[in-house]
Amino acid sequence: METAAIQTHGLTRRFGALTAVENVTLSVASGQFFGFLGPNGAGKSTTIKMLTGLLEPSEGSIEILGQPFGAGALELKRQIGVVPEGMALLGRLTAPEYLRFVGRMYGLDRATTNQRTEELLEFMQLANENKKMVTDFSHGMQKKLALAAAVIHGPKVLFLDEPFEGVDAIAAGMLKTMLTGMINRGATIFLTTHVLEIVERLCTHVAIISKGRLVANGSLEELRAGVASTLPGAEEGQRLTLEQMFLSIVGAGGQEPVQELTWLA
Amino acid sequence: MAGVDGEGVLGTAARAQYAALARLRWHMFSNGLRSTKGAFEVSARIIVFIIYAAMGFGMGSGAGAATYMLASDGQWQYLPIVFWAVFLIWQLVPIMLASFQEQFDLSLLLRFPVSFPSFYLLYIVFGLVDVSTIVGFFCSAGILIGITVARPDLFLWTLLCLIAFAAFNILLVRAIFAWIDRWLAQRRTREILTAVFLLLMLSINLLNPALRQRRHTRPMSPQQQAEKLRDSGAQFQIQHNIWLKTANSIQKWLPPGLVAVSVRRAAALQPVPALESLGVLGAFVVLAGGVLLVRLRGEYRGENLGEAPKAAPSKKKAAERAASGLGATTRSASTAGFLDSYGPLSALLEKEVRTLMRTLPQLYAVGAPLLLMVILSGGLLRRGPGTHTFAFAVPVCMVYALLGFTQLFYNNLGTEGAGINLLFLSPTPFRTVMLAKNIFHALMFLVIAALGAVLATMRLGMPSIAVLVATAAWVLFALPCNLAAGNIFSIIMPYRVNPGRISRQRGSQANALLGLLVQLVVLGFGALGFWIGWFFEDQWLSVPIFVLLAVGGVIFWMRVLSNSGKMANNRKDALIATLVKTD
Repeated sequence: METAAIQTHGLTRRFGALTAVENVTLSVASGQFFGFLGPNGAGKSTTIKMLTGLLEPSEGSIEILGQPFGAGALELKRQIGVVPEGMALLGRLTAPEYLRFVGRMYGLDRATTNQRTEELLEFMQLANENKKMVTDFSHGMQKKLALAAAVIHGPKVLFLDEPFEGVDAIAAGMLKTMLTGMINRGATIFLTTHVLEIVERLCTHVAIISKGRLVANGSLEELRAGVASTLPGAEEGQRLTLEQMFLSIVGAGGQEPVQELTWLA
Repeated sequence: MAGVDGEGVLGTAARAQYAALARLRWHMFSNGLRSTKGAFEVSARIIVFIIYAAMGFGMGSGAGAATYMLASDGQWQYLPIVFWAVFLIWQLVPIMLASFQEQFDLSLLLRFPVSFPSFYLLYIVFGLVDVSTIVGFFCSAGILIGITVARPDLFLWTLLCLIAFAAFNILLVRAIFAWIDRWLAQRRTREILTAVFLLLMLSINLLNPALRQRRHTRPMSPQQQAEKLRDSGAQFQIQHNIWLKTANSIQKWLPPGLVAVSVRRAAALQPVPALESLGVLGAFVVLAGGVLLVRLRGEYRGENLGEAPKAAPSKKKAAERAASGLGATTRSASTAGFLDSYGPLSALLEKEVRTLMRTLPQLYAVGAPLLLMVILSGGLLRRGPGTHTFAFAVPVCMVYALLGFTQLFYNNLGTEGAGINLLFLSPTPFRTVMLAKNIFHALMFLVIAALGAVLATMRLGMPSIAVLVATAAWVLFALPCNLAAGNIFSIIMPYRVNPGRISRQRGSQANALLGLLVQLVVLGFGALGFWIGWFFEDQWLSVPIFVLLAVGGVIFWMRVLSNSGKMANNRKDALIATLVKTD
């Protein structure tokens, strides 16, 4: 049996009385492009923080590449790349300085770091901005840099928290090509995003979290079949979009009355 | 929106906005009390306020006593010195303490329909709640009392002059903050400002020998010394009179001089010249207000401080680059490396160097002690010839240099911002991060301390070898203690520092207060050690005491460092939440 790239058992995180993530058990196979969806405040970022060692779970366990993962698992950290919610950038460095810094923090030698820095900056179309400090970058440029930093050490597992937010269409296309290439070479990608079209196009498997609980998990086809059987009005053979499935699963399928705000122009 | 603007700065809508803002401040305050940390922070703020008030009261008493004596004796020509001292305190203290004070960033108001006059007024009003205004208020009150007790007839005129002087200081300090923040917002102006600052710091050290007033000479007999003292005393008096005359002719056109001259003329029953001086002072008030207005107007209009988009490289240049096989980053890559073979530690050190060189407020905090050492040692020199050898000048300079590093030591993660995520995500142990910071800060401190020691020696005489060795031993104790305590405080009570701003920071009074407390304990040990040496008339006695303390300090630092990873891990969530937040 092939080892799962990411495996969680009963993952739970409480903040005082609030349970942000409750009993999440999921498995992401190696080489999978995995979409992790949910409405705002559902627990996506909290889950990703736990999976990357930024937040300690209250209960449950995490295995990455078959090994137990905690904040102190330094060797495992070398195998993963992350674009976290806050992007983890250092504003007072230039893009090349930042990438070199990250490369060396991940244990790459100077020559490899320099070479990859150049390649990544060219790829991300940031090579002409090498004198500008990161703090002066636009949001989209910062996203591209954060992604470059997340992959500079060639991770086997990549966690992306909203990587396409604020990125222009051209750059988004490039990023998708890069991510698909990584998958083809055997990497595993764990992606959270609100752009369902991207998930539908890239991901093979999807999990949906709502109010801290995992409410759906499986391949897109499995989800489609499951939702189609329960969705009133769905015709046999109809190919549901991910948006329809998502709205159906999280309980906002357009059937709830929406209060009209009559004072809005 | 026009209606809101049209109602003016005290209109109904504007007053509603002020009330909303006051409520916001109250909610922020009361919500802060909900957590233990918040309650602690509020308590610390109250204590700090009391300390500031006490400091202000002391300075005010001093200013009052000085003006009383000058007014009683009719020595009005020296009055400007008091006003210059108050002026310098008013302008320099807020910059020095900027990052320790919580300051409300009013730029958040720009998204609301707040009129420009209201914005301007709020900017000034919020600036009133800071240490400089407290100290300035006490000093002004002291001056008013001092002059009034000596000359009751001058009360109203002095009050009027002091109000104008206070208005000038308040507007000027706010204008300086606003403009520095503006210059720090863009790369080119930021680089110029940093270069100017570094040049200034360098000049202080290079020019110091030129200002040098003391020369090492052959030993003289008591008679020769007495003659020299008499001669130099007479010479000093002549030079002093020339200096005073020249200074007064220039500074009577500058605000501290104007206010002094105005009071002096009023005392001499010359109402028209007194009014003239006050009028010129009024012009300065308007000028300072105007400088602030220009800046705030730009901010209010929503100026774009981002860098202009860089032009794409020409095809020719791109072709040349491709032909030479050089990428866009090759030049900087080849010049970037130092400590190349130490992996993450060298990467961290390099990052610290780059960050500091691009963070003017931190550079200022580190370099300011040198500037003030010159001023303070100058004060000792002015006591008169023959009195300017100070045996403990070097240890005192070390103490002062150490105080300048308070923020760097005690909030060493403050400028990481979102980068703190990376420090946790990377496979580099957190203790390596703290070690790199400690090494860098220790090296910085040693450089500043060495410069300070050279400065002190040149200005105030060579100390004995025993004092030098004891000072070095004390530094070996004080530095690891401060680094260790700083590591603990940086992890358990960090606060986000915006490295691109001098004002509008959200400092932590609790961190500052406890940091100073630790420093006081360390300084207390130092004072005790030196006192023992002085008491037994053998300064070498201090050395073993400090060496023993240094051993303890180093052990303490190593223990804290080895536990720093665990501590940071336990506080990870709070650390990230505090340092990444942008409000």
